[in-house]
Amino acid sequence: MISLVFIAALFALLLYVVANMPPMGDPDNPTNSSEVIERYLEKGGEETHADNVVTGIIINYRGYDTMGEVTVIFCALAAVLAVLGRERRGRIYAYVDRSRVPSSVIVRTMVALLVPFIILFSVYTILHGEISPGGGFQGGAIVGGSMIVFTTIFGLLESSQRIPQRLRFPLEGSAVITFFAVGALGLAGGGNFLTFAWPEIAGNLQPSLVVWLTVLVETGIGLGGAMVLISILFSMIREEEEIAVVP
Amino acid sequence: MGAYRHFPVFMVTVPLVCAVLLPFLGYLRQKWVPWAAMLPLAFSSVLGLLLIGKIPAEGYLGYELGGWPPPWGIELRVDRVGHFLMLIVCGITLLALAFSRRYISREVSGGRLTAYYVLFLLMSGAMLGFVATGDVFNLFVFMEILALSSYALVAITGNRNAVRAAFKYVLMGAPSSIMVLLAIGFIYSATGTLNMADLTLRIADSRYSEVLIVAYILFVIGFGVKAALFPLHMWLPDAHSIAPSPISALLSGLLVEVSTFAIFRITFSVFSMGSSGLFASTLDAVGIFAAAAVLYGGIMAILQKDLKMMIAYSTVSHIGYIFLGITAMTAEGLTGAMYHMLDHGLAKACLFLCAGNFIFVKGYRRIEDLKGAWRQMPWTCFAFALASISVVAIPPTAGFISKWYLILGNIKGGNYAYVVVLLVGAILAAVYCFRIIYYMFFQPGKEGAWEGESRDAAPSMLAPVWVLSLGTLFFGILSYLLIPSLLDAMNFLL
Repeated sequence: MISLVFIAALFALLLYVVANMPPMGDPDNPTNSSEVIERYLEKGGEETHADNVVTGIIINYRGYDTMGEVTVIFCALAAVLAVLGRERRGRIYAYVDRSRVPSSVIVRTMVALLVPFIILFSVYTILHGEISPGGGFQGGAIVGGSMIVFTTIFGLLESSQRIPQRLRFPLEGSAVITFFAVGALGLAGGGNFLTFAWPEIAGNLQPSLVVWLTVLVETGIGLGGAMVLISILFSMIREEEEIAVVP
Repeated sequence: MGAYRHFPVFMVTVPLVCAVLLPFLGYLRQKWVPWAAMLPLAFSSVLGLLLIGKIPAEGYLGYELGGWPPPWGIELRVDRVGHFLMLIVCGITLLALAFSRRYISREVSGGRLTAYYVLFLLMSGAMLGFVATGDVFNLFVFMEILALSSYALVAITGNRNAVRAAFKYVLMGAPSSIMVLLAIGFIYSATGTLNMADLTLRIADSRYSEVLIVAYILFVIGFGVKAALFPLHMWLPDAHSIAPSPISALLSGLLVEVSTFAIFRITFSVFSMGSSGLFASTLDAVGIFAAAAVLYGGIMAILQKDLKMMIAYSTVSHIGYIFLGITAMTAEGLTGAMYHMLDHGLAKACLFLCAGNFIFVKGYRRIEDLKGAWRQMPWTCFAFALASISVVAIPPTAGFISKWYLILGNIKGGNYAYVVVLLVGAILAAVYCFRIIYYMFFQPGKEGAWEGESRDAAPSMLAPVWVLSLGTLFFGILSYLLIPSLLDAMNFLL
């Protein structure tokens, strides 16, 4: 009862805000006219050397937020492993669900055919994130999605042989580590932490350097995100299997 | 500007990065993990200590991440108050980690042990970042790390009750995170910026005051859940009493305070108060809830039979104290609130670690079982008594100083009803603390309860406890070291 009243009050409050928010699409909106967005849109291209302004903002202008978000993803993995436990080293747990009808040849063939292309597409998304919509987070999620498809059709045993733990384990933290490395490089180059353009290096080198560092960070995010998603998926399946085995 | 301007960012980032690197060490040498986990926190503590006296005259140390000036990039902004709280976080996390080494190896094993230390470091780093940041969205990011790691740490032992408590915590915590995110969205839509200093200027001449007020209310509710302000405290007693003791110490001694500090920051650094009557009335409502929290927490603590449950309810009561200091809106009240964060952090961490000692050595959780405990565990019992004295606020301890300033601030602010509430709260604290001291020292133990090998906890578990309890004494006697500069900082804020 109390919760209903609370939700109703919250609902009314939010409706009240929406009625009073700045009108959508109005050029005089604070979000459209403030100096923050002006500089992002007008100088973002030349200052961050990223053709995609969104990438420029999330990797460069607000890189520390992204570093935090990447840490959140890693933290989610650590939380899942802390609560469910990691599969023991060197041992693979098969997905023994006997109740299910094995998938047909058509499905298996199609999935086996499609997964490489999905992964190829994710590589494109990651590397092209600097120019077009996309980037590390999206690419990593696509790899994770492809492995979800693969695992549901072929089972955990098969997919954990394709992406074994000794491959996932070192790459899980790669996003945070890349970010920190790039940040420390900026520091070594004479700027602040997370400076992409090194102030004390010759000017004509800078644009390509910034672009390469951006791509490096995107790749780190993509790899780390993908491995974290796959590890979470595997450890959750294992839990299910344990429950299934107990009579 | 020397190299020290880089210190804040390293204090925050190094624990986070080391948390990511720790699994590698866990894979190679599991035994070294507890020791290695202390390194980044010790590093942060050293940097924090080196920063003492280095905060520039304009009142804060700003750091532009990525070299972008504030409204465009993210800024870390460590003012005197933030620095003070960062030092508290460093100190208490380090001591709780030192305590964990022996304690946690019994409750958690195998791969989870590494996960425990990883989450511990993530939580510590996130708390530091949460305090240091000068950007509203960055605040949210650190809050997410903090929240996620604390959910998992409550459930880490994996037993049914712990998972249930953690789930309750998630059910309360996740909506609160969403509320904070919504509030940030509203603020951004009304001002077009996320930097706290820039927001202050823009809020002053914003045309969308309705949106801003609702954003403020959502901030208070959202952080209020994390801070366990009275009607939103339901997750706290379960989570704090079931979590492993070092984690209880961290949750109770730091997490709730850091969240309170976020409300403090939002109130004074973002919404420059007094521009509208509705802000003031929101804060008045918070004051009423805080007064209710002081009384409710105190009464519930008296009724508890479980030791950790009692300490947890005492935390509910003491969060009320801190909020009463903030709502007083006077320099003395705010100083009292900040000093109470220090005192409460030290005392509560100490009490929870003492409870951990009792659980570790004898497995006793009930208050009844503590009768005659001092015969076997004198060191733990004396540390517990000293921290309890600080909780009750008896003169030579830090608890007295903070409550003195809280009462002074409320008298100056003209809130005489709250003064009475604060005094009644102290009496309630005396009832629940002295009952335990009486049981420990002046009651004969049950037959056979304290026999067998008559040994106290190991030195590595007693040392953190004693550092914390002597800390309450130290900051009580030498309060003149900190109080003047805190008063200055608060006068600067108002």
